[in-house]
Amino acid sequence: MVVRIRLARFGNKRQPFYNIVVAQARSARNSKPLEVIGTYNPVPQRPTNLSDEEARTARPIKEISLDQSRAKYWIGVGAQPSDTVWRLLGLAGIAEGKSKAPR
Amino acid sequence: MPPRVQNHPVVNSLLPYLSSPSTSSSSTISKIPTKYSSSPSLQSTSRQTCRSFSSTVAARTKLRTEMFAWLNGEGAALKTHVPGSNNYVSQLRNKRRAVEGDEEEEGRRIVPPFPLNPNFLSQPILSEELRDAIYDRVVNQKQSVRVVSVDLGVDMRRVGAVVRLVELEKRQKQQGKSMALPYARAIHEMVPTTPLYRNFRDNRINPHESINDLPVHRLTDPQIFYPVSESCQFNRVDAGRVFSAAPALENKQVVKNAANPTEVISRITRNPSRIEKIGKGEDEQQVLQPADARIPHPHLVAHERYRLSNPNERREVMNAYKQRIREEENAEKERKRIAKELRERQITRVQPESSRFEFRFKDVVVSKETTGTNGRGAQAPGRRYGVPSYDRKKGQVKIPTRVEV
Amino acid sequence: MRNRATTPLNRPKIRQSWSKYNLFNLQRLRNPPTSNRTFFQQKWTAKSMARAYHGEQVRESQWARMFSRRIRSVVPMNPLSLAQDDGSGVSAGRGAGLENPRERPSRLTPFSQMTFAPLERRLDVAIFRAMFASSARQARQFVVHGAVTVNGKKMRYPGYLLNPGDLFQVEPERVMFATGAPKDKHERREGRVTRKKMAQSQEAEAEAQEEGAAEGSGEKKESTSQEQDKQNENADPRETLKALLAQAKNIIADSKDVLPAKRKQELRGFQKAVKRVLSRAESSTVLADSLESQFSGLITLLKAKPAEKGDTKRSKRDQSSSKTTNVSESTPSSTTANDNQPGEALTEAFRQAAENPEAEVDTSELTDEEFDVLKQALVQMRDNPIDSTKPYATPWRPRDYMSAFAFIPRYLEVNHNICAAVYLRHPVARPGFSEVPTPFSEQVGTAAFTWYLRRR
Repeated sequence: MVVRIRLARFGNKRQPFYNIVVAQARSARNSKPLEVIGTYNPVPQRPTNLSDEEARTARPIKEISLDQSRAKYWIGVGAQPSDTVWRLLGLAGIAEGKSKAPR
Repeated sequence: MPPRVQNHPVVNSLLPYLSSPSTSSSSTISKIPTKYSSSPSLQSTSRQTCRSFSSTVAARTKLRTEMFAWLNGEGAALKTHVPGSNNYVSQLRNKRRAVEGDEEEEGRRIVPPFPLNPNFLSQPILSEELRDAIYDRVVNQKQSVRVVSVDLGVDMRRVGAVVRLVELEKRQKQQGKSMALPYARAIHEMVPTTPLYRNFRDNRINPHESINDLPVHRLTDPQIFYPVSESCQFNRVDAGRVFSAAPALENKQVVKNAANPTEVISRITRNPSRIEKIGKGEDEQQVLQPADARIPHPHLVAHERYRLSNPNERREVMNAYKQRIREEENAEKERKRIAKELRERQITRVQPESSRFEFRFKDVVVSKETTGTNGRGAQAPGRRYGVPSYDRKKGQVKIPTRVEV
Repeated sequence: MRNRATTPLNRPKIRQSWSKYNLFNLQRLRNPPTSNRTFFQQKWTAKSMARAYHGEQVRESQWARMFSRRIRSVVPMNPLSLAQDDGSGVSAGRGAGLENPRERPSRLTPFSQMTFAPLERRLDVAIFRAMFASSARQARQFVVHGAVTVNGKKMRYPGYLLNPGDLFQVEPERVMFATGAPKDKHERREGRVTRKKMAQSQEAEAEAQEEGAAEGSGEKKESTSQEQDKQNENADPRETLKALLAQAKNIIADSKDVLPAKRKQELRGFQKAVKRVLSRAESSTVLADSLESQFSGLITLLKAKPAEKGDTKRSKRDQSSSKTTNVSESTPSSTTANDNQPGEALTEAFRQAAENPEAEVDTSELTDEEFDVLKQALVQMRDNPIDSTKPYATPWRPRDYMSAFAFIPRYLEVNHNICAAVYLRHPVARPGFSEVPTPFSEQVGTAAFTWYLRRR
């Protein structure tokens, strides 16, 4: 059985919110995972408390909270991130290379 | 509509914006109403005759008649405002009383807008000049909000709000958006205003509002019976400890504190996070501090104390005051900087070139402490499993609770 | 929410409204009788009276959820007295404290008048308290119709609870409509007519553009205006200025006693006169423009006048005309400058005139007062123009009986120019004073508070 790091969808209709979870690959999406290591909010938030100049260059924000040490540990023991999570971990500097994980 | 009857000088919506020359125009104004004021009865009768020709059934009850009689008689004074003075219902009562007998009743007092509620008064608002002065001091002269607040007798939150509003006004002017200038003028005539005095000491003596408001803490709500020996001094610090159920201070500490109270207070106000805590877990809370530390301007107490101890050295006292404010500001800046750094350290920002978004990674900790034994701890990241969401339930408030700037 | 908030006369209810019915009810409001009534009856009456005023648009269950028995209060502290003693005097002796004959007994804090403080947090109520709407219902409508922003974002929920520091803003046009006197029959008709005319002219223009015949009519207009200019140039400048002044005086001295129609005629006359004066300065660009540019043009003209002399007239005029063209090009920036000190430019011009012995006759004729009158008229004309397309009576004037309800509570900081306000903090009680505006006495407030404590 493969352990994967993947997203579990929470939130409401048209308002997604994901938990970043470590779970058995064959388990249901929202079933209880081995561990929740973070969250991902894909709805871009507008930056606040900016001056005029900052507001012109500011980008919308996607918020991620992540326990980096746990993520590293799980990858170390052979957990396979899904494509999306691979991308996110790549941004955080934890996983490297192409997003396509060897199947 | 009742006929327009006026027996008092009428509004000139420009008056406060003019200086002396208004006398010439106002003299012409005051002549006009006298022409009309002689004939209110005539007008009302003429209207009634008009009414009799109407074929519709008059919906005129006794009360309605009474109402219009009042509006045309006594209430006519309320119809238009007199620039520079209030015009409330309770004033009518005072006038009536004055007519009946007591002459001294007719003094210039603050009149409540509601006759039955003497506890609510119409308090002055900031005049246009004072508002501009605040903005000028904060933005152009780069004075701190604290200094401006003390100098002009305006609450610190209000100073911040004024700066924000004037800024917004300027921006809107630049963009050429429509503004409600005649309306603003009329309001400033109806409502009392706090002027900007030429010498700012006058503003300090007659402040716009009290700047040292102490919020009543909920710990002080219950009455506590606490016996103290007569030989003991029981002061505000001790009272705060009693209210928050903290053990009394040791005698050594008390003596030390009494030697330099200013130092003690400034230590509290500069590091509010280091205030002694009491209780465990959920019930942990800070020990209630004395009023000297909880008011918005604790440095003023220190200033007064220093002034009392050195009554004859004015200049030195002033210098010490300035020094103290400078220190206070520096300490505040430092505190803010540290807090900001802490926040920044927790967050890593990534702006990949391939995306138009910024990704903010926040560090969280997943461990037994945060998740708890059953994995449902409140401090752990992520939505909880096995916890129903009530957002479709009846009675749940769905409107937003805050709007970020 | 019920559909209407009525203000009946036979069973008076006080509402959050500026209507004259409400004023009459407010004036005859008395405390409800307490003798020969049970405590429950007293509480019931008090509660129903108070709720008719405080948040009648809020459902009772909703309000019952909002109610809080904990009331915020503050005590103003005096730093001097804090510095003088450390509070041990209060507990001195056997606990009753030292006797201080100078000390006046502190006033009681009217806690029970603060029963409805949580409602003051609502957006619609705050808009009404900031005097942006003539009733809480109207404020609610403004919110629902999308005329209100909170912190720069449109907020469509009247029940939004403001947080300390929130800035809310209503469209100034709506506020002017809400607080201004309504149009009478004739004004409404005028508005209709102008709207129709505008629609027609737009159609005509569209047709004209299609045919390409717009040029001819434009030329005609210009030629007629030029003729008028010539006539005016022949007239004595002194006389025109005097006439201008007289009209300005009329405008300022006028008030509601004069029939609105007559007043309007005068205003129009003044406007025309200003245009005439402007046209003499050969700044024809200004003529066609809006009132704003006219105003600034006139000011620059008045500024330039005293400096002019017989010989240098030509060059100066060029300058002034160039100035005015500048003005018409960059209207917003110049108007901001003028808005700040429209008077200063004028007074400065006058001072120059006084210093210059050979100044022109017309400016030296003006006294300070007259100058101010002229300035006022100009300002009024620019800020408060006649515009029959507006939904309120123009020039704007406050609606009747507005002043009887005019107060702004301290927990709001309001900027009326842009119709924006900041909710500074929650309303608090302080000794002898409560910040929640309520028309009822403490007796009613206390009984209502007890009702909501749910010990009945």
